[in-house]
Amino acid sequence: MITLRGLTKRYGEKTVVDGLTCVVAPGSVTGFLGPNGSGKSTTMRMTVGLDRPTAGSVLVNGKPYAELKHPLREVGALLEAKALHPGRSAGRHLLAMARSNGIPASRVEEVLATVGLTDVAGKRAGQFSLGMGQRLGIAGALLGDPGVLMFDEPVNGLDPDGVRWVRQLMRSLAAEGRTVFVSSHLMSEMQLTADHLVVIGKGKLLADAPVDEFIAGNSLSSVSVLVPTPVERDTLARHLLTRGAAVEPGEAGELVVTGADVGAVGDLAHELGVRLHGLGERTASLEQAYMELTASSVEYGVTA
Amino acid sequence: MTTTQVRAGGGLTGAVASEWTKFWSVRSTWWSLAGGVLLMLLYSGVSGLSQRFGDTEPPQGPHDIVVNGSIYLTEFCVIAVATLFVTSEYASGSIRSTLQWVPVRSTVALAKAAVLVPVLFAYGVLVALLGMATAAVLMPGEALTTTFGDGFAATAGMGAFFALLGVLCAGIGFALRSAAGTIVVTMVLLLPLPMLLSAYVAPEIMNYFPAFAGLNGMVPAGETNPLLGGVSPYSPWVGVLICLVWAAAGLFLGASVLKRRDA
Repeated sequence: MITLRGLTKRYGEKTVVDGLTCVVAPGSVTGFLGPNGSGKSTTMRMTVGLDRPTAGSVLVNGKPYAELKHPLREVGALLEAKALHPGRSAGRHLLAMARSNGIPASRVEEVLATVGLTDVAGKRAGQFSLGMGQRLGIAGALLGDPGVLMFDEPVNGLDPDGVRWVRQLMRSLAAEGRTVFVSSHLMSEMQLTADHLVVIGKGKLLADAPVDEFIAGNSLSSVSVLVPTPVERDTLARHLLTRGAAVEPGEAGELVVTGADVGAVGDLAHELGVRLHGLGERTASLEQAYMELTASSVEYGVTA
Repeated sequence: MTTTQVRAGGGLTGAVASEWTKFWSVRSTWWSLAGGVLLMLLYSGVSGLSQRFGDTEPPQGPHDIVVNGSIYLTEFCVIAVATLFVTSEYASGSIRSTLQWVPVRSTVALAKAAVLVPVLFAYGVLVALLGMATAAVLMPGEALTTTFGDGFAATAGMGAFFALLGVLCAGIGFALRSAAGTIVVTMVLLLPLPMLLSAYVAPEIMNYFPAFAGLNGMVPAGETNPLLGGVSPYSPWVGVLICLVWAAAGLFLGASVLKRRDA
């Protein structure tokens, strides 16, 4: 469990993380979303004690990270895959890591096998591709068999197989009852992986909710109508407005209607004798919900 | 899941074990240490031969030769190995891994020192013995010989000097975080600064800087040191003690900076 209480980080005038309060619970994958520069990485760095909070606190299993006796046995974190000496072999890197926390050396073999790097254990880490480096970082996170796992953009640089593997790994780690906290700016990725979302923008908490609730609460479903003739398009739009719907022009003869369901729009077009080339419901994706939320992050308070 | 069984390790012991593995698993360590041995062999070999074929004034024994060799040459390899042990972590970003493994920062600094001290002490002893043996083999029979006292002072003194010089570099490395900066500051502390201060402020002052204190630590009390020809104002143990104070001050400075800054 990770507990953030009013967590704040300022660099001079700039506030990077602004009073974050939330709890990342065990047994589920919690997605940590925000645009680039929104403070995700800084939050994770503060969680493992690399950066010191300006105010507030972040606790892991109820304690500040630096007070954990064997931190790697409680928290596994992949923050930057390349935070290692390029001249040291992958195996030696993990062995040094294991020794620092009294983890048996046999775990090194095990995690190398888990991430599929057994064959290159003796290779210098500097020669690894981005994807291999990412796997090595994941191996390090798993080394101490920790109950809390944090991954900062774990699928960066992975091929499609690797992406699917990471997704399954995170799901299975959560299924084992661990706390899994994953940052990403890829909404589609989170939609497939996360159970719960923590969304931040400009360092502020925008949402802290289960994925379904987040999508339902943050997006208006809309209807897309394709009307080829401009005159008829105007007629339809005018009538929709008088019935209380909102209409926005879309691409190439499209109208995007909110506040009326697809049946009502179709019936109205039929009544007016407007010829349609398309009529459909737009399902809100996490991507849209996220874009809507972060686009004007200042106006939005904490939802959920 | 979080393991419930109690296992030892971690803390300072774990940090030292981890640093030990890191120290020996990069090539720069091996290159620097091997380079220092080669330079000493070269220096003591050439000096031994010049005793045989040239006329060196004053005549030097094997213990004098290795003392000079350590100050002229091998100490720079010691500086390299100790500096890179710390600054390569900043160059590669691996310091952020290190601090995740060992979040108590003073422990990280102490662990680095705890690896450097025994390794560099043993290294100094080894280099002194190899150098003296090389010089002795190549010198003529009637040349100055090394008594046990001379040999012991050169050997133990070199071990102590290298060990404490290494800790000083590590401390400066944590404070400056760059290899170039650390090496420049260390070199200035070793030679130009004490020499300038001695020339313009007080002649005795240089004996309280690390290189000259280390040199005095390698020469038995009352004997002239082979490099500068003077007699140390204090006993060899005091020389080692002065190096110890420098090393402790350097490490304290480095650990304070490490503690205060975000990684």
